[in-house]
Amino acid sequence: MRKEPIVETEEIFDIELEEDLLNRNRELAEGNHKAMHEHGVRALDVLGSIGSGKTTLITEMVKRLRDRMNVAVLAGDLTTMIDAERIEEQGVPVVQIHTGKECHLDANLVHKALAELDLASVDLVIIENVGNLICPGEFPLGADQRLVMVSVTEGPYTALKHPYIFADAEVAVINKVDLAEAMEVSVDGLAEDLRKVKPGIKVVPTNAREGEGVDEVLRALGL
Amino acid sequence: MHDLTMARSIVDTVLEAAKERGAEEVLEIDLVIGALTLLSREQMDFWVRELLRGTIGEGAEVNIEQQGPEVRCKQCGYRGPVEVSDDPIYHLMAFTPTCPECGSTELEIVAGDECTIRNIRARR
Ligand SMILES: Nc1nc2c(ncn2[C@@H]2O[C@H](COP(=O)(O)OP(=O)(O)O)[C@@H](O)[C@H]2O)c(=O)[nH]1
Ligand SMILES: [Mg+2]
Ligand SMILES: [Zn+2]
Repeated sequence: MRKEPIVETEEIFDIELEEDLLNRNRELAEGNHKAMHEHGVRALDVLGSIGSGKTTLITEMVKRLRDRMNVAVLAGDLTTMIDAERIEEQGVPVVQIHTGKECHLDANLVHKALAELDLASVDLVIIENVGNLICPGEFPLGADQRLVMVSVTEGPYTALKHPYIFADAEVAVINKVDLAEAMEVSVDGLAEDLRKVKPGIKVVPTNAREGEGVDEVLRALGL
Repeated sequence: MHDLTMARSIVDTVLEAAKERGAEEVLEIDLVIGALTLLSREQMDFWVRELLRGTIGEGAEVNIEQQGPEVRCKQCGYRGPVEVSDDPIYHLMAFTPTCPECGSTELEIVAGDECTIRNIRARR
């Protein structure tokens, strides 16, 4: 081995990195998608504000699906263990994703969570994203479908204020319709806004706590 | 919103690349942020500088270039910039692009959705 002569000169140099960090996430998402596809696994990304009813809806969906298919849940927005237990009670595997103080899930976190599942024995993965209607829009996870949940308690302008998040959504759920009157929010008006923001989106009103409209949600998703 | 997270990945990536190549100091960082992202230029600038404190990149010049949206039309093959409607009713920009040549909405985004570290100037 020849020893390099050490030249003591100060040197300024450029590192042409050209690295797109958002694209890195997109590539990882494609990887997740491929990995799930190879095992015939379908994935659903569930988005919505904190408290909009994501966990409630997912629990109700799992109840109806578990006899027909093998469902697993990736829980990205569980602030308490009560939430995780609520889903686990349904007898399906739940992987908790620790996001720390993150405002969104990203493809890398989902990649790691998927590694904890036996994909060969899973048919559907439901991912509960972090309660936020803005940031997750920028981070695809590799899911096949995206469901966005709004609830009437968030006021009448949720759709118009957050158009970005609906761009890739196939189904929009308007939850807590039982509170619409008290909130003086028109469910039809909200549905109209949603269709304005994303033409062709399937809008389903629900009272997830009572399980009302959940069958329609499953139908809209083709499940 | 997630400007801090993105700034942290930028700084980590920059420092790693610089150290790998034996840099003792990072002098300049060139970034490109797409107009279609939810990242704000001011906040990114602030957080990147802030996170560089106490590292070999402290005090580096941070240049952020804004990249406008560019698409490729799957219908007519048009390739170039598009107008993005920025309705004030929206808090955020709603991206509803149509091809300026043929009006098609079947567009592939080729630029404007990035957060890229283009170049790092360093000293060894
Ligand atoms: N009134 C009413 N409350 C609901 C409905 N769906 C969920 N909730 C309640 O809203 C709260 C938050 O629900 P959760 O599923 O934890 O929301 P997440 O943060 O989106 O997961 C809980 O107390 C639920 O019982 C609904 O349709 N109507
Ligand atoms: Mg929850
Ligand atoms: Zn065209």
